[in-house]
Amino acid sequence: MMQASPCRHPPRLATWLVDLFASAEQAESILGDLAEEFSDIASTSGVLSARRWYWRESAKTIPPLFGASFRSAPWSLGSIVLAGFPLQWLGATLPERVIMAILRAQRPYSNLRYELYLWLINYDIPIACLVKSVLIGCLVAVLGEGREVVATLMFTVVWTAPFVTLVVLAYAHNADREPPFASVFHFFVFR
Amino acid sequence: MANRDFLGEFEHIVLLAVLRLPDQAYGVTVRREIEARTKREVSIGAIYATLDRLEAKGYVQSRAGDPTPERGGRSKRFFRVTSQGVSAVNRTHRALRSLTEGLNLLGSRP
Repeated sequence: MMQASPCRHPPRLATWLVDLFASAEQAESILGDLAEEFSDIASTSGVLSARRWYWRESAKTIPPLFGASFRSAPWSLGSIVLAGFPLQWLGATLPERVIMAILRAQRPYSNLRYELYLWLINYDIPIACLVKSVLIGCLVAVLGEGREVVATLMFTVVWTAPFVTLVVLAYAHNADREPPFASVFHFFVFR
Repeated sequence: MANRDFLGEFEHIVLLAVLRLPDQAYGVTVRREIEARTKREVSIGAIYATLDRLEAKGYVQSRAGDPTPERGGRSKRFFRVTSQGVSAVNRTHRALRSLTEGLNLLGSRP
């Protein structure tokens, strides 16, 4: 019985990830270089070690590309990220208002769809908030033309960093007492 | 301002590697040259990020080669150092020589 030989192509996911962070010109040459070295390693040390090398090399390649992309246009990227903040802030209560208006107009609970109503009450606002954030992320990506991934990643990191910090502080402080800066957290999230 | 700039450490290494590879300097060869001579592991991404920066400063120029099958049909990007790049290397060497002049660096301390 013949043994299935491992795929001789570089890992597609790793290739896709590098492609995401590189400009079109960089992607052509970087992915070509990675493919050439993959082919060399596969012929000398085997496909599995070539695939391991390719993953490791892709992971090492992405951070410098991210940094270079930011350094090439720091002011425009910074402005785009900052522009996302007022949008997030202004849209903080928008999903809730829209959903409540729809529920009031449709009255699903009065029409033998009580289970649907309960489901909506429990899950619709978080889902709507997620959809709103995705839409704002898309807008940030459109504004960061040519550097879409860098712009959205930066926006996500900058937007979520204070919340993550507060959650960590809350755990580190004390479970029973209110963590420091909790009022700030409440102001931004539940205002 | 560019003609008064000194090269950063990695920029300096990359420029010297490109100078050592006339007509053959592209990502793979530059990386191998650096690894062979400095025993330092570098990523392709770091090399291209540096080469792009050097190209923006006018220290290197690039041209596209032909696509090859072992590269998945993608073309190579060959680099060459410009006269401005050579001047930048010389300027940085002069500054380093001037700073190390008179210092007993070999075996002076355990």
